[in-house]
Order: sequence, then C-alpha cells, then structure tokens
Amino acid sequence: MSRQTQGAVLLVLGATLLSISAFSTTYLNYVRPGFRPLIVGAGAVLAALGLLSVVADMLGRPRAHDHGSRVAWLLAAPVFALVLVAPPALGAFAARRDDGSPARSRTAAHDALARSGVTELTLGEFIGRAYAPSSPTLAGRKVRLIGFAVPGEGGRGWYLTRMQVRCCAADALALEVAVHGAPAPAEDSWVAVTGTWVPWPDGVPDEYAVPDLTATEVSGIEQPTEPYE
Amino acid sequence: MSLPSTTDRPGPEGGPPPESGARRHSGGFRLPWAFIVLVALLAAGRFLLAPYLTDPALQTWATVFVAVCVQALPFLVLGVALSAAITAFVPPSFWTRALPRHTYAAVPVAGVAGAVLPGCECASVPVASGLMARGVAPPAALAFLLSSPAINPVVLVSTAVAFPDDPSMVVARFAASLVVAVLAGWIWARFGRAAWLPAPRRTVGTGEGKVSAFLDAMRHDLLHAGGFLVVGALAAATLNVAIPREWLTAVAGVPVVSVLVLALLAVLLSICSEADAFVAASLTAFSPTAKLAFLVVGPMADLKLIALQAGTFGRAFVRRFAPLTLVLAIGVSFVAGWTLL
Repeated sequence: MSRQTQGAVLLVLGATLLSISAFSTTYLNYVRPGFRPLIVGAGAVLAALGLLSVVADMLGRPRAHDHGSRVAWLLAAPVFALVLVAPPALGAFAARRDDGSPARSRTAAHDALARSGVTELTLGEFIGRAYAPSSPTLAGRKVRLIGFAVPGEGGRGWYLTRMQVRCCAADALALEVAVHGAPAPAEDSWVAVTGTWVPWPDGVPDEYAVPDLTATEVSGIEQPTEPYE
Repeated sequence: MSLPSTTDRPGPEGGPPPESGARRHSGGFRLPWAFIVLVALLAAGRFLLAPYLTDPALQTWATVFVAVCVQALPFLVLGVALSAAITAFVPPSFWTRALPRHTYAAVPVAGVAGAVLPGCECASVPVASGLMARGVAPPAALAFLLSSPAINPVVLVSTAVAFPDDPSMVVARFAASLVVAVLAGWIWARFGRAAWLPAPRRTVGTGEGKVSAFLDAMRHDLLHAGGFLVVGALAAATLNVAIPREWLTAVAGVPVVSVLVLALLAVLLSICSEADAFVAASLTAFSPTAKLAFLVVGPMADLKLIALQAGTFGRAFVRRFAPLTLVLAIGVSFVAGWTLL
C-alpha cells in the first residue's frame, strides 16, 4: 500500500467521521450523545494525517520507505457501510432478538406524579416506577411515553419499545411496555402513547415481566434526534 | 501482515531516513488516484447498490458494526497518539526511574498504574506497545495492558451504577482483574520468550526528525491497528446479530457451564469495558460468578482486542497470550466469585 493510498484511506475515514458527528446528528444512531467531541476530534486527526500524506505525495515530496500492510484497506469498510447501507437506529429487528430484562434501579427515589394532567416519562423511568417495591407512584396517573411499535408474535397485541444504550449500539437493551386498548401501528413507526399503567395483579413479580399500559391515545410522531434512552 | 508491526517503520537507524534517502522527485504534480478511485466507488455504490441494501438483518448488522467502529476509533486514535508521544518525546530514563528495576516487582506496579488511563481497551494496546518500545519490560507492559481497561475509575463507576444493590461486584471486578493482570505478567516473565514479541521499536532522533517520526509512527499504527480493529468489529457485529439469545437462558441455571458460557459471550460480543457492566446486569438469570467472569474476561480477551493485539504484537504473541489470559481470567473469576460474592 503506497503512502498515497494510506493517506486516501485515512482522509476518507476522517471525513466520514466528521460528516456524521460535526455536520449532522447521524452519530446518535450508533453511540451516546457524549461521544460527539471524541468523534469530532478523532475525525479531525485522521483527516489531517490523511490530507498531509495525500498532499505530500501530490507534490512529489520525498517518500519514507512505506510498505504498510494490506489489512489497512479494511478501514474503508465502515465508510462503505455508512455510505451504502446508511444504517438506521436499531429497531424492531434488534428489539425482538433481545429477551434480557433491563437493569432496574430499585433504589432510586421517585417523586410523586401530578394527580391531574399528563406526565411525560421515559420508558426506563416508567418500568422503574412499575417495579418500585413500596409506593405505587404510577397507579391511576396519566403518562405519555415515546417509542417505536413492535407488533407481538402472531399478531397478538403490540409493544411500545425503545432501545437503551450505555456506550454504543452493540450493548443495546430493549425497554418494552405492552400496550392495550389501541390497534398496533406499523412496525418500527414512532408513536407517543398516552395512558395509564395496569397494576400488577399479585404485587411486584419476582421474575421480570413486561409492564402493561392501557392506552387512551396513540399518535404518530417523528423519530427523535436521540433514538436511544 | 506477518511482519511485526514495528519493524517496517522508517527511522534514522533502520532503512533509509525520510529526509535523505529514497528521495524521489518525480517532477511536479501527481493526481491523488487512490482518493479519486475511493470516492468514485462510494458515489457509484450509493446510486447503484444502496436501494437494494434494506434488509432489516443487514441494517442491524451494519448498525452494530459501525457503532463498534465509531465508538472504538477515538480511543484508538488517543492510544496511538499517546504511544507515539511516549516513543518520540519521553526519554527511556524516565521509565527506569519510575518502575522498580526488578521485573517481578515492576509487574504489580505497572498493573496498578493501569488505573490512570481512563478509556476502553482500544487505547491500552498501542500504549503498551509504546511502553515496550521505551524499554519497559514486556511483562510489566502486559500487566498494564490487561489491567487498565478493567480497573480505571470510569469503568469502576459504571460498574457501581449497573449493580446498585451489589457493591461487592465492584470490589470483585477490581480485585479479580488486577490479580489476572499481575499473574499474566509474572507467568510471561517466567516463561515468555523475546522471540514471541516483535523487535523493539527504534529510538527517534532529535530536532525536526522527532515531529516527522511522531507523525509517521501515528499514521503507521493507525492504519495497521485500525485495520485489525475493523476485523474485530466485523466479527463482533456478526456474532451479535447471529447468536440467538434463547440459547443463553437455556444454560443460565447450570453451575459451571453458565460461567463458561458468559465468559465465551464476553469474548464474542466485544462490548466496550465502560458499558459491559450494564449488559452483565441485564443477564438476570445468571449467577453473580458468571456475571463476574463476563466482566473480567471482556476487557482482557474479546475478539476486537485479540485482533488488535495480533496487529500490534504479531500472531506468535497472540497465539500464546490470548489463551493464557482467557484461562487465567476464568480461573480467577471462579475463585473471586466463591470468596467475594
């Protein structure tokens, strides 16, 4: 691999990282928002190094003896994946594959919800409250949840779902709430659901079970800029 | 690829120096063909292929693949920059003063020093290589390599957050990881051979040479280690999408097998060490010992890391070192699980 080729690979990779982080919010489909400065920095370093090599070679500057390995070509693979597939945020396909239960913070204190009106909650907080050992802070309260629709197996019911990501999409876990009283929207469509929690029939279960919600209103929305919780 | 990564680096003593030898003025301007071809391929693919690449399985695979790359690249760049800076700007005398002269004593010191590099495992590989190039004994550098992704403060805090009811998990993770790193260092000091590691990097000259050597070292390491990182990301994404999770729940109750299965899962999934505690916490059906094995094995011997080590230290090294760390990590997890959890 000549120095010019090495430079070209670094430049294309760096420019791609910059374009998904500095000039758009595409990076949010892959990592947490906090990663932005890191990705911008890495993209800038890679692009600058690549540009230096390409320009030095264009001007016919002396070459260090270079025989970099062919494995470096693989650095172009993420660029091709990004440009050709344009991978979207994880959706119903990934959610169905995941049957683990989310890590619940049982010790977190929950404020009381407003008695009247509708409170907007994340799916994570809703599930956390549903599993709170003592105070039924959800019972009878109207809440509004946001997520994408995952129709149940065999057309039975549907789940309001959002992926929880701590670092990158490789560690994603599905947060799910079973929605009752409303027809299933199209798979992967983003919706806001207003409704009330269905209390556990025999107290908080020991084994993890998906909490239930009776919907009074389901409306389609745009996918949020931050697709993960 | 079979060449050790550090021997083909340009330097004043080996090969023609960049400034004087190999001077090839081809006379004026040359088109950057490689760049033009790459961009043309990308543009053509976007119009011709992209409309057909919409299968949900393929998209999920691509999302995970790109996510692993995008998450790991900043840490790789950071690690490579640190490593190049260590080789170019820190004199070897610093390390002889900072570490005990005796190798067996230097190993635990280097292991504990791993706590100061807050990042994930991708940064620690090039830094360990840079340390070796600067005269740090390989067993000590390897102890640093193993301990740093597992015991740095960021990782310990995220473990504490993921296991709110279980502070002993943080203690067990710290202790088990440090013990594995030190044991691996000592075993390498006793049985390791110099031939299994690439020849030490040559030292760098003074003045202008330093900056250009720094840039050359960075470019070389980024391309080389980055290529292997992509190999690891490809494998991790494929297994992430291909392994049915039902298989896991089926073995969760079996005592010893469940620990081995989670250790294997940690190798295959290659989750960043700052996030793996959350995944471990979600595997509620498994015993605490199995979860601990997941947390100890992952930052030391996952696919992404093994590929990176192969790229940085060569295959002869990784063929011996990866099984050694894997066996040690599983063994120590069993012991720590029984005594601490």
